[in-house]
Amino acid sequence: MFESLLNALPVALQLGSLISLVVGTLIGIMIGALPGLNPVMAIALMLPLTYGFDPVIALGLVAGIYNGSMYGGSIPAILLNIPGTPAAIATTFDGYPMTRKGQGGLALKTACWSSAIGGIVSALALMTLAPMLAKVTLAFGPSEYFWVAIFGLVSIAVLVGKDISKGMLSALLGVIIGLVGVDAISGAERYTFGTLYLVGGFDLLIVLIGLYAVPPVLEMAEKRNASYFNADSFRVTDGDGSLGLVRRYWRTWTRSSVIGVCVGILPGAGGNLAALLSYNEAKRRAPDPETFGTGNPIGVAAAESGNSADNASAMIPSLTLGIPGNLIAALVLGALMIHGLQPGPQLFTRSPDVVFGFMWQLLLTAMLLLLLGGMVATRLFAQILRMPTALLVPTTLVLMAIGIYTVNGNVTDLYVMLAFGLIGYLLNRLAFPLAPVVLGVLLGPMAEQNLRLTMLISQNDWTVLFTRPISLGIIILLATILLSQSWKALRLRRHSARHDS
Amino acid sequence: MPMTYRDFFSGIAFLIIGATTAWMGKDFFADAAYIPIGAGILMGVFSLPLIWRSTRSLLARHHSSQPVMALVDHPGRFLATLGCCLVYYTALPSVGFYTTSALFIIVLAPVLGERRPVVVLGITLVFITLLYGLFAMVLRRPLPVEFFLAS
Repeated sequence: MFESLLNALPVALQLGSLISLVVGTLIGIMIGALPGLNPVMAIALMLPLTYGFDPVIALGLVAGIYNGSMYGGSIPAILLNIPGTPAAIATTFDGYPMTRKGQGGLALKTACWSSAIGGIVSALALMTLAPMLAKVTLAFGPSEYFWVAIFGLVSIAVLVGKDISKGMLSALLGVIIGLVGVDAISGAERYTFGTLYLVGGFDLLIVLIGLYAVPPVLEMAEKRNASYFNADSFRVTDGDGSLGLVRRYWRTWTRSSVIGVCVGILPGAGGNLAALLSYNEAKRRAPDPETFGTGNPIGVAAAESGNSADNASAMIPSLTLGIPGNLIAALVLGALMIHGLQPGPQLFTRSPDVVFGFMWQLLLTAMLLLLLGGMVATRLFAQILRMPTALLVPTTLVLMAIGIYTVNGNVTDLYVMLAFGLIGYLLNRLAFPLAPVVLGVLLGPMAEQNLRLTMLISQNDWTVLFTRPISLGIIILLATILLSQSWKALRLRRHSARHDS
Repeated sequence: MPMTYRDFFSGIAFLIIGATTAWMGKDFFADAAYIPIGAGILMGVFSLPLIWRSTRSLLARHHSSQPVMALVDHPGRFLATLGCCLVYYTALPSVGFYTTSALFIIVLAPVLGERRPVVVLGITLVFITLLYGLFAMVLRRPLPVEFFLAS
């Protein structure tokens, strides 16, 4: 296997492959930076264009778009509080407060380095651990996936925000929003109120842009045409030097990259979960957890390295088992099939140059991020955001409209986005955290589907949820987080009561 | 309005949403009802501490020492932005994407305080041209056709 890996390196370093990597990375950063456009859409649009290309060039484009868009998503997340991709949600928590404090440049630089490091670790994991880690995922059944989803949901609800009950209510609101539409297992309609539009449920992208992108734009609109952002926010060269960043964040990067790689291997768990879990872990281990959410660069480093570390590792089950871990992995499988290659274990023996070449390409694009992301794209997009607020508001709203309209070609989606925007605005003002709502929409259906599968397989034996060793491990971890956070909240309340009296 | 009132009313709102979700969920087919009922009940349960804490605080006439954030900072600009968005979305299918978007920027920017017509027109032109280049020429995404091009 090591020999095949080395043999594939010259293939990935061919001129055509390198050009496709650079073009793909630039397209990816641009797509990720535009709210409403996502890497899935970009890769899906690119695939038909690559029919006539060599598979190595086609996969180079895919690798570039994939890694580039994951970093690109952090640019509007940091500068505008609008996550360019769902995976950039956690980046907004500290990235945007940093911009408001005049540290936008440092946040972008941290995000760029963290994305690159996460991507490199992920590609190395794909190259070295693929066959071994694929075996571990085989031990995950629906019961384990149910607990993974519950763990993601509850830990975020409890750790984000100051009030546990508000966090839980936000998460449950998200779960209920995710219930709307036709039930995937029984085919019955739930909470559709006889409306045709609701039969398909709410599109995650519409909910996401509504909840996350509309409220900050409305807040911007409310300010007089003054500088909403600190002019110094966009200086890209401020803060530590590159060596300083490495010294400061290597622990966070290591931890988050490991989390990202592990999450990536689990089919169905995307970069957003990796980023949120990494963020939580960084917050939990920090000596100053109260500074998270107010502009702590470690939050940005954790979120970005976590979501990028998920990229290549999500390919592990796809390439080794032929089971796509996420939508992009499914598209990569599609790209392989378009070029006459059959995904699965045989791929490694029949087309080693292509499969190992693709692994090298993922590694090379992660490295290219430092050059293209830091030197070209970040500066370019940061300049665009220097526009006066009165012009930034309508142009951002037009960008959102085009992004949402292109999802389904339906104008109703725009009204729904605005409605979710108002809900998000209100929740923000009432001090309810928004991240658990999105997580609820995302993980609620995953938890439900796996719970029902578990019940079907076990013939309604509930004990199966608690008796499998991996499930039990996740439950113990979840209980530890819940108890420690409840204890912290209780102590804080007692302290403030004593302080007030 | 102090935060405690807001917490009280948001707690009540969540209690109603939770109860309605669980009540509607009981009619769903077999195991399709598990999560709706569970989520509804849990929402009701978690809204209770919020209601309890805010009620207790209100009865004790205890006001939070933290500054209260207004629900809407500037209602005029807030409503104008929402109104412009609604008109924009309504006009989009019949007037066309690029025309409506250009008009939307040209109208909303002065409403929000931009008083330099050349800057507004210049940025609108550049922005719409870039959008056209990306979405119509590169990505070829179907968008509402301009009214003057519709046959």
